Amino acid sequence: MGTKSNLVDNPVRQEVNITRIFDAPRELVFKMWTDPELVEKWWGPKDFKNPVCELDARVGGTMRIVMQAPDGLMIPTSGVFTELLEPERIVFKNFKEDDDGNAQLEVINTVTFTEENGKTTMTLNALAVRITPEACASIEGMNVGWNQSIDRFAYVLTGINH
Amino acid sequence: MRRDVFQAIADPNRRVILSMLVTGKLNVNQVADQFDITRSAVSQHMKILTECGLVSITKKGRERYCEAKLDKLSEIWDWLNQYKKFWEGKFDAMEQALKEIQAKNKKDGNKK
Repeated sequence: MGTKSNLVDNPVRQEVNITRIFDAPRELVFKMWTDPELVEKWWGPKDFKNPVCELDARVGGTMRIVMQAPDGLMIPTSGVFTELLEPERIVFKNFKEDDDGNAQLEVINTVTFTEENGKTTMTLNALAVRITPEACASIEGMNVGWNQSIDRFAYVLTGINH
Repeated sequence: MRRDVFQAIADPNRRVILSMLVTGKLNVNQVADQFDITRSAVSQHMKILTECGLVSITKKGRERYCEAKLDKLSEIWDWLNQYKKFWEGKFDAMEQALKEIQAKNKKDGNKK
């Protein structure tokens, strides 16, 4: 970076953190992310189907999940695994696209698993960073679909709450 | 070319410029002095930031002052909130799925 200043405080840092404790062993919670049969059980909101649920859980492998809404609308999401350390840590990338479908941001998702007394603490840290030209090239033609997926999901949740 | 806040913050130098402006207005030269990159490169970043609506520049005599428009950043925070809700909803479903899987495993285990 071409800067002389040493500013640590960054108001434009973009991060999401979520922590969950599950009453389950961490091997199983880890598998919830890597076994397509298990991912299918939680990925789609209620009444959704996942006609495509492909996970190549290894470094460089891709995830491609297509949700189908009850009204038939297909919502695709894709990502790339960049780190897998069973049963402790999973890192995958996905992309935020603009209204025209061009990738805008790269989102680095780090999921960690720790177990204590049979309960598993799972954390998700999602860090949105600049999109690199290489990342642009690697996702060309890949239907990333996260915006659509997130919008649709919010819509469905609103429907459930009312 | 269409500009938006995500493009504005995509560059680390532009993030630093925004960080500098959080504490108050600075003139263009004060900002440029903080960087190793050329003055024209700084100007270019400033131009993008203003086009994205994150910085406004006002002239006072011969000085040009830059001011951060941080409310614009809420566009990013909104998206991050949506993203968070998206995962929280999924994790609720994961919790349910884990209960079902474990109940089933227990049942199957008892059969053996």
